[in-house]
Amino acid sequence: MLNTELCACGSGLRRIRCCGADFTAVPDAASLEILNPKAVEATTLFNEKKFREAEALALKLLDIAPNLRAALRVVFEIRRAENKLGPAETLARRLASIPAESNAVAAAAHLQLAQMLVAQGRHADAEAAAREAVKLSPRDANTHHVMGVVLTETGQVHAGELHYRTAMRLLGRDDGTVLANLAWNLKLQGRLDEAAGVYEQALAIRPDNPRGIGGFAQVEAGRGRLTQAVALLDKALTTWPNDRTLRLLRALMDLQDEQFDAVITRLDGPLAELLPPELAARGQAAQRLGRITDAVSAFATGKQMQRDRYGQRYEPSAFLQKAEACKAFFTADQMLALPRAAPSDGPQPVFLLGFARSGTSLLEQMLAKIPGFAAADGLAPVSTLVNMATKLAAAGAEADYPQVLASIAVGDGQMIPSQLREQYIANLGNAGVIQPDTKFITDRAADNHWHLGLIKLLFPDAPIIHVLRHPLDIMLSNLGQDKKLEANCGVSMVAAARHYDLSMSMIKHYRGQLALRYLPVRYEALVSDPLIVLQSIVKFIGAAPVKLPSKAVVRINAFQPMPRIPAHVVMQQPLHERGTYRYRAYEAALPQLFSEVRPILEGWIEELGYGASA
Amino acid sequence: MSGEAILSSEEPLKPGQQRVALSDVISQISQLEQQNRLDEAANLAERVLAAVPQHPHVLHLSGIVLYRQGKIAEAIARMEKSIALAPNVALYPRNMCEIYRGAGRLDDAVAAGKRAIELAPDDSRAYFNLALIHYERLELEESVRICDRALALDQNFAEAHFERAEALLLGGNMAEGWESYEWRFKLKQAEGMLPKTDKPQWDGNPLPAGKLLLVADQGFGDCIQFGRLIPWAAKIAPAPVLACSGDLTPILRQIPGIGRMVTRWELTGDFDAYIPLSGLPRLAKIDPGNVPLSEGYLTPNPELVAHWGAQLDRLVPKGKRRIALVWAGRPTHKNDKKRTLKLAQFAPLLAREDIAVVTVQKGEQIAQVGSYYGNAPLINLGPEIADFADTMAILKNVERLITIDTSVAHVAGACGIPASIVLPYAPDWRWLLGRDDTPWYRSVRLFRQQRPYEWGDVMERVARSLD
Repeated sequence: MLNTELCACGSGLRRIRCCGADFTAVPDAASLEILNPKAVEATTLFNEKKFREAEALALKLLDIAPNLRAALRVVFEIRRAENKLGPAETLARRLASIPAESNAVAAAAHLQLAQMLVAQGRHADAEAAAREAVKLSPRDANTHHVMGVVLTETGQVHAGELHYRTAMRLLGRDDGTVLANLAWNLKLQGRLDEAAGVYEQALAIRPDNPRGIGGFAQVEAGRGRLTQAVALLDKALTTWPNDRTLRLLRALMDLQDEQFDAVITRLDGPLAELLPPELAARGQAAQRLGRITDAVSAFATGKQMQRDRYGQRYEPSAFLQKAEACKAFFTADQMLALPRAAPSDGPQPVFLLGFARSGTSLLEQMLAKIPGFAAADGLAPVSTLVNMATKLAAAGAEADYPQVLASIAVGDGQMIPSQLREQYIANLGNAGVIQPDTKFITDRAADNHWHLGLIKLLFPDAPIIHVLRHPLDIMLSNLGQDKKLEANCGVSMVAAARHYDLSMSMIKHYRGQLALRYLPVRYEALVSDPLIVLQSIVKFIGAAPVKLPSKAVVRINAFQPMPRIPAHVVMQQPLHERGTYRYRAYEAALPQLFSEVRPILEGWIEELGYGASA
Repeated sequence: MSGEAILSSEEPLKPGQQRVALSDVISQISQLEQQNRLDEAANLAERVLAAVPQHPHVLHLSGIVLYRQGKIAEAIARMEKSIALAPNVALYPRNMCEIYRGAGRLDDAVAAGKRAIELAPDDSRAYFNLALIHYERLELEESVRICDRALALDQNFAEAHFERAEALLLGGNMAEGWESYEWRFKLKQAEGMLPKTDKPQWDGNPLPAGKLLLVADQGFGDCIQFGRLIPWAAKIAPAPVLACSGDLTPILRQIPGIGRMVTRWELTGDFDAYIPLSGLPRLAKIDPGNVPLSEGYLTPNPELVAHWGAQLDRLVPKGKRRIALVWAGRPTHKNDKKRTLKLAQFAPLLAREDIAVVTVQKGEQIAQVGSYYGNAPLINLGPEIADFADTMAILKNVERLITIDTSVAHVAGACGIPASIVLPYAPDWRWLLGRDDTPWYRSVRLFRQQRPYEWGDVMERVARSLD
């Protein structure tokens, strides 16, 4: 009996010729040679846009030889054109995995796979294929361009820059698309002046690039040139009046400019027809106008849309496991046995902790204005050292982090903390954070709370500044944001509250088990008495007496050019106390707003001293 | 017993249910309570009470279970009800007396204790329970008198002897107190503290060199405190062998006169007599007027002092006075509930602007640091401390130690380092009464509770004392 079951992947092939095929039993190169004329015919049909015939022939050929590249390619192109992404991905992966007659062919297959995944926004998934493509075809500008995109969008911005520049060198000319991508990369690195120059070049070569214009406008806004940004966007909107990204950016400029009614006018219409980032902007405008119910409706609709329409879910399980592993390993007893990195003279990191929307970026902005302080933002986080730590400590054996760190207690592991420390500083250097006069580097990586144990080994005396804020204000503020947060906890207030609880419990654990140089700082104090808080921090850090900016300068939080401008500076605002205990007005207007999160947060509200008195 | 047992005889049985005798269930609740299976005991008691809500013994038992679960108010309500229902059962007020003591209701405890004795004038334990209350109320003569009544009924009642010793010693009646204090090795918890030997306990007479075995018994604090008498003993019985735990060797090694230190019984070698360190004060006839070496007799290792000095320079913000802190003791200590505090209770201290707190707390309680978000910078140094040698060296680098009554207090005192000890209303006997200094350690200041169980004003005073 012939097995006629079609493959569940949707390729159109029989299962035993597709995902169920035994690729050790397929025809070899010599046999495929016989089928090649037929494969050429299928390709020709495809090129002549005779898609049905091309598909029928290709499927027949693949039923004889499931590894026939040209036929696979035809079916892949057809599935992709049909927007059948599942089977298209299966076929692209197969094209990349079957033996190829040359490196160039193999590279093209990997590049195709990477590009398809990038087009779906799956940059992390695309990384392996992009890396293969570069290795197979290191003289091909396209492989470097795609690698640049993948690295930039997965947070590896410096490596990304390198590949964009290589792509340009290999092309031997300026390319509008590569330049625009490079400019965005520079923007992410905080090199805004350079980014602006590159955008100008890119847009001169290729002016029909609304994404590029949007990026340029954000750079201009980040440089404090709001008027120029607005002009760019207004002009672009006359050309592309229906471009929603440009419209949203224009609305954000209004928001920055405190034109709240204009924001709402730009983003009008039924809530259900807006996208989550548009809803967040509209809600924020309503918030500033004091329309609490409207603001919450917009925010809540955005969150609901993320869940219902885009299937976003809070995914805590990996983090719960990580918490368990870290709590089990990083105990006072265990840590006592582990060596620490030797003291070093270079710039000293200052680690900032705080749940999203607690005020760590504000604090980093303020500290960056003090001579000798540099802001690393999250550019070179400690978490990137985990792989290296695991490799060094495991020395070839199978082991998991953090348990693997136990082996650094053995003689030949004694140097590992110092090696990791050096790597961390080198990463900051590569990120361009360290200047000749840099004495302190603030590191506000969003996942620092997981790594206080490793930080203790690398920087035993590093100051750790924890920005605290009323937990309900934190929840409210996150409700109004459309940002991707750890474990996807931004999808609902309850998820954010659960994750807040988890993050805080990690910090609590580390503080109980380690001798940390820990200073809690209150957001509420930071915005009401910024200078006093800054002074206390500087004193705590033990910086040599420094001249703090004047009170007025601190209050205005004015834009100040720096060599590297952290991403969060883009929306820099004067200090304000609007966000202090904002939850009260919201709870008064909507008594049920916090009913689900209060039980989760009650303990923290008390413990942090925001209870009865606040 | 089946999970479906039912007691009410009026209700018809459902399938799977069976009738059981009340006495069986009662003894089962007791058993579960004694096996520390408190949740099960409580569940069973609740189900039984649903059927027989007025049963005094079940009420009483469930009260004990609730008390042990920390539900004090409910426990007292249940037990008071059982006494009201069965006013002539001596056991109820006898246990009630202990529960009231635990709840800090000492007047009610006295009344219950007296009632228990009235109902069972031959029950030595009833007297003992009342003696404990009198100690808590600092009615020391009464405590001794009631202990004597218990001992008249049962002359080998070790706990009563020991309670009598503590009352006498606390009151400053040392000579008589030391004699009763000898009963401490008959207490249940003292098992294994002394060597298994047929050799006699030392009587204070001369012995050849190396033939006296000194035993570092009891807690670390006691060993440090009584260790000062080793030179005295070595004058009479030279080069004694000291048996102690490994944790104590780095400290006790400093005391002159010791011949050899061992950490295992097999290594003691031949000896003619043994004596626990806590037995030396009796032989040396110590009283508040003749305590030797109160200025200190231990010295931190200078290298360690320098090491920790450098550490603290890095960890403690500049310009802050360094105050070391210990807030909790070893949870297995018999009076731990009375002495151990929560870090948060030191709020007045932690609110000071001019200090940095260096906690030298060890053990599980260090986790409380994670919940501290107060004003004074707090450096949780406990996790970095490997042994008492570290603790000594750290204390040498701070202005003062503030501590509960625990071993670290003795470490500071024995090093001559300034220390403030916060004490319960009825403290351990060694701190005596009515004075804010101590004959044992010249560098130590005592801060006593003015009323039983009230720490608030003690915390205020100890914080203000830094002015």
